[in-house]
Amino acid sequence: MIAALGLLGMRRLPRLDGDLSIMTRSIIGAALSKFGAALAVLFTVGFASAALAGTGQPSPWQMNMQVPVTESAEFLGAMHNGVNIVIALISAFVLLLLIIVVVRFNEKANPVPSKTTHHTGLEIAWTLIPALILVGIAIPSFRLLTMQVQLPKADITVKAVGHQWYWSYEYPEDQGGGFTFDSYMLSREDAAKANQPALLAVDNELVLPAGKTVVVQVVGADVIHNFAVPSFGIRMDAVPGRLNQTWFKTDREGMYYGQCSRLCGANHAYMPIAVRIVSPDAYASWLTEAKKKFASLDQQNLAIASNE
Amino acid sequence: MADAHARNHDYHIVDPSPWPFVGSVSAFIFAVGAIMTMKGLHIGTLKAGPIVFGLGLLGVLYTMMSWWSDVINEAQNRGNHTRIVQMHHRYGMIMFIASEVMFFVAWFWAFFDSSIYAGEEKAFLRYEFTGGHWPPHGIEVLDPWHLPLLNTLLLLTSSTTVTWAHHALLHNDRQGLKQGLWLTIILAVCFTGVQAYEYTHAEFSFAGNIYGATFFMATGFHGFHVIVGTIFLAVCLMRATRGDFTPKQHLGFEFAAWYWHFVDVVWMFLFVSIYLWGSHWGSIVHNH
Amino acid sequence: MYLIFAITAGLVGGFLSIAMRLELQEPGLQYFTNPQTYNVFVTGHGLIMVFFVVMPAVIGGYGNWFVPLMIGAPDMAFPRMNNISFWLLPAALGLLLISLFVEGAPGSNGFGGGWTVYPPLSTMGHPGPALDFGILSLHLAGASSILGAINFITTILNMRAPGMTMHKMPLLAWALLVTAFLLLLSLPVLAGAITMLLTDRNFGTAFFDPANGGDPILYQHLFWFFGHPEVYIMILPGFGIVSHIISTFSKKPIFGYLGMAYAMVAIGAVGFIVWAHHMYTAGLALNTQRYFVFATMVIAVPTGVKIFSWIATMWGGSLRFTAAMQWAIGFIFLFTVGGVTGVVLSNAGLDRNLHNTYYVVAHFHYVLSLGAVFSIFAGFYYWFPKMSGRIIPESIGILHFWISFIGANVLFFPMHFTGLSGMPRHYVDYPDAFAGWNRISSYGSYIFAAGLLVFFYGILRAYLSPVRAADNPWGVGATTLEWTLTSPPPHHQFETLPRIAGGSH
Ligand code: HEA
Ligand code: HEA
Ligand code: CUA
Ligand SMILES: [Cu+2]
Repeated sequence: MIAALGLLGMRRLPRLDGDLSIMTRSIIGAALSKFGAALAVLFTVGFASAALAGTGQPSPWQMNMQVPVTESAEFLGAMHNGVNIVIALISAFVLLLLIIVVVRFNEKANPVPSKTTHHTGLEIAWTLIPALILVGIAIPSFRLLTMQVQLPKADITVKAVGHQWYWSYEYPEDQGGGFTFDSYMLSREDAAKANQPALLAVDNELVLPAGKTVVVQVVGADVIHNFAVPSFGIRMDAVPGRLNQTWFKTDREGMYYGQCSRLCGANHAYMPIAVRIVSPDAYASWLTEAKKKFASLDQQNLAIASNE
Repeated sequence: MADAHARNHDYHIVDPSPWPFVGSVSAFIFAVGAIMTMKGLHIGTLKAGPIVFGLGLLGVLYTMMSWWSDVINEAQNRGNHTRIVQMHHRYGMIMFIASEVMFFVAWFWAFFDSSIYAGEEKAFLRYEFTGGHWPPHGIEVLDPWHLPLLNTLLLLTSSTTVTWAHHALLHNDRQGLKQGLWLTIILAVCFTGVQAYEYTHAEFSFAGNIYGATFFMATGFHGFHVIVGTIFLAVCLMRATRGDFTPKQHLGFEFAAWYWHFVDVVWMFLFVSIYLWGSHWGSIVHNH
Repeated sequence: MYLIFAITAGLVGGFLSIAMRLELQEPGLQYFTNPQTYNVFVTGHGLIMVFFVVMPAVIGGYGNWFVPLMIGAPDMAFPRMNNISFWLLPAALGLLLISLFVEGAPGSNGFGGGWTVYPPLSTMGHPGPALDFGILSLHLAGASSILGAINFITTILNMRAPGMTMHKMPLLAWALLVTAFLLLLSLPVLAGAITMLLTDRNFGTAFFDPANGGDPILYQHLFWFFGHPEVYIMILPGFGIVSHIISTFSKKPIFGYLGMAYAMVAIGAVGFIVWAHHMYTAGLALNTQRYFVFATMVIAVPTGVKIFSWIATMWGGSLRFTAAMQWAIGFIFLFTVGGVTGVVLSNAGLDRNLHNTYYVVAHFHYVLSLGAVFSIFAGFYYWFPKMSGRIIPESIGILHFWISFIGANVLFFPMHFTGLSGMPRHYVDYPDAFAGWNRISSYGSYIFAAGLLVFFYGILRAYLSPVRAADNPWGVGATTLEWTLTSPPPHHQFETLPRIAGGSH
């Protein structure tokens, strides 16, 4: 749509040798309609988001964040919608002032310039008002930050290790785990066969239960990677030698995709994260199965590791 | 056309000079040579790295020499350095030293990041390596009250001797000037000698451990500055012997002195933080 | 010379970015059979645009040319040093270009770790010599800038014409003074950081190697301690340029001059204490993050002062919409859009979902490609007659502006959407859901690039047509000293120093 508006602006370009100020005005008019529309779009995304956004994955022509499924992601989304309106209003305000100036104080309309260069009241206002707006933003911002960074008591802890170029997940022994497995991206063809989105689908998903507080420990094995799942509102660097932790808790079962979000070399675009949230019962039975399935694999991994 | 008009100001409009261009080309060659040397690259079968590197280095040094002798010539013989131009040079030198200070900030940052947070458990690999304390597990550090203390005294004394030389110059006491400079240079060379001795007898190496990395990088760059400062002072001594400098105009000397004080101050910070606080003596303070 | 250098480098950087947009137009791999090559292009694009286009243009080009003119000085304080500042740039660019063609990561040429050069990807991830060339290129470019900074500070503090007090100094001079201090104090830290990279790579040191007690996060602190001031280095001269243009074509003195000058000082000072807002996801402690959120937000206030003072300058003025003026007005609006998304990112809580997504890419192109580069073009159309003595027809500059304005918005606005919906940066390939907006972005980049053809056509026209520029083509509004000289100015201007009387502010 923006492209269409852009083309519209182009078509309305008058002849180059035309009267400068008429031309300017008409061009500015065209641009205004474009920007008015763009801002209006920004403005309404907050409300339209539910219709456009995907759950657990992006959807075509989406304009806002993915549907949040954890409390902190909901807070994040809501706060973003709020701040988004504030910044859209500020931009619109600046644009409005520019338009007024352009229309009222051009050479034709106002041939004699004024000499005003000071207005203490105004200067105080445009220092104080932005400061107040920022304080207004900062208050919820600090609450959100605290919620994200302070770890609650974990029901389940898993470890996500970033490798060039795949993830591996470790489930600790004392929580019924005691195994590790690797998670590789499916090729476009395999993803299509599995009826999953290309470049997001993986062979072995990270399976976790709904309704439980999960702490994810994130580490890098070689270079820095980043473990990010947008609909959980989490994103954490996987740094070699450093144990970073983040957490989430969701009640909604389903598939949630994320992607490695730190440039890590050639296949940075090809190491997605897929989390399958299941009911606690299903999780228990998955654990027993997984233990069997990955036990042998684990042995192999250990062998490889010690060979290195 | 510059000649057609009477010049009506005291600024120094310099003549075109080849050195900036030559210097840049040399720097380029120097960089290429450095990489070829480090990576062991060769042209055909020839390991040309060191040759290219050497050529570049020579070019850079030659540029510096020629450039500065032009400057000295302009100051000494052509009287281009009016009051205002001297002022420029003062500002320039202060700014240059300020940027050098920020350069050392980087090394100190690295040192404090590693030492203060040596016990941060979250950084588990580092913790494993350091054992949770600084100096790291298994590192045999130097005794600060031994050679480092000696070096501190050497540098502090040299700072006073250079000030002595300065005062002598201000009172037009040429003999005192030369003596002061001689003493300063001798002390400086002693410092470098002691430092070299210490380096060769250190129980830890530059590579493979964070202690050696931060230690050698910070003290090494300081040592490099000491050498540069020494050369700078030696040039001043030569010029003093030649009869340059007057009590009123002796920027070259003044800058050498400033630079020397700067090097001295950096050493004090190094001594207090890396040698004292960062040694076993200091680790009592932050034992994890 | 700086300007020609910047335009040349701009073509290279632009070419790399168009290649990237071509690839990103559709999901899947079209042109880059080796994904690493794409990373190399992105890195080269970022480094070239930052170090070899914007900085040489605004600091070396306009700064060098007009700061001495505006303060009534015959030249810079150290002309020879100025000369080496320039010559180091081609040497540095040469090294960077070599870097693109020698081995980096195993099996591919060039360094592909991003312009921020984070280890361990830049240490263990790229054993070939490509990055060593990159590092030494940055050393040379950095040396060039530090020498330049010393020159500017000395010139501005020492060589103002009689009567030109600091508080009468044109805003461009203020802008470059602050910029020079930022350069002087931040670049040496970058030099230190990349030197550590170099020794980690070649001499086995352990600065950033956790297994031997080092810390990869240390590099990030050092880099961003430089990197954040760097972004203001790129925009402050633009602020100065725009101030002059707005004042000239409003035929009014700048509104709130002192506030404008000290706002830049404030931006510069606060710019040094906000660096870790680039590291919210590195695992920093809660209180550290809180502090950086707070400090970062503060910068919006002095920046707002600037935006509103420009508008107040125009308010009550008698505006003439020359090409330069249109670029400048465009700058004000687009920079605001980029700035407010910066405020969104400054909230660590929100950045949690935006870091390393295209939202960030949108943010910084609005402040850079639509901010800094717009100010460069504004300055170009403003000063071209002065610099060359020739005239680019206004209509060409205006056409160039509108093509760029539309193209750039079509190019970068949709990136907000892809970013919000989660598309990460540095991706050669992406899930199909992102295809729509990416296609639009790519179309936008072609429009933007087409604008450059108009730009070059304008220059060509100027040199082919016999029309000569007047000393002051802009009329009564143009009050700074450069307009009192001939176009182009004589080789050594102000053989007799001008005297500045009275106060205009
Ligand atoms: C010219 C360059 C430039 C400029 C000027 C800025 C300006 C700002 N930037 Fe930007 N930034 C970059 C270039 C720039 N940035 C680059 C290159 C990156 C990415 C680097 C990389 O990772 O590769 C980046 C990334 C970046 C991040 C990290 C994002 C991430 O990686 O996750 C953040 C976070 O805080 C940020 C914040 C800001 C802020 C708050 C400003 C502020 O200075 C903006 C202030 C301006 C305004 C706010 C508008 C005008 C004000 C008003 C009209 C008043 C009223 C306004 C309010 C009350 C809100 N920037
Ligand atoms: C000033 C800085 C600048 C400028 C102008 C641009 C311009 C453009 N950028 Fe750039 N970009 C960066 C700085 C810049 N970029 C940086 C720092 C990064 C991050 C790199 C990294 O992560 O490592 C980045 C990353 C980046 C990406 C993200 C890649 C990824 O993460 O995978 C993309 C994707 O589309 C992109 C596209 C473009 C396009 C299409 C343009 C077009 O606008 C280009 C069109 C060309 C021109 C407009 C030429 C301009 C000419 C001049 C400026 C010369 C004029 C001079 C005089 C008049 C004297 N850029
Ligand atoms: Cu792993 Cu990017
Ligand atoms: Cu920043």
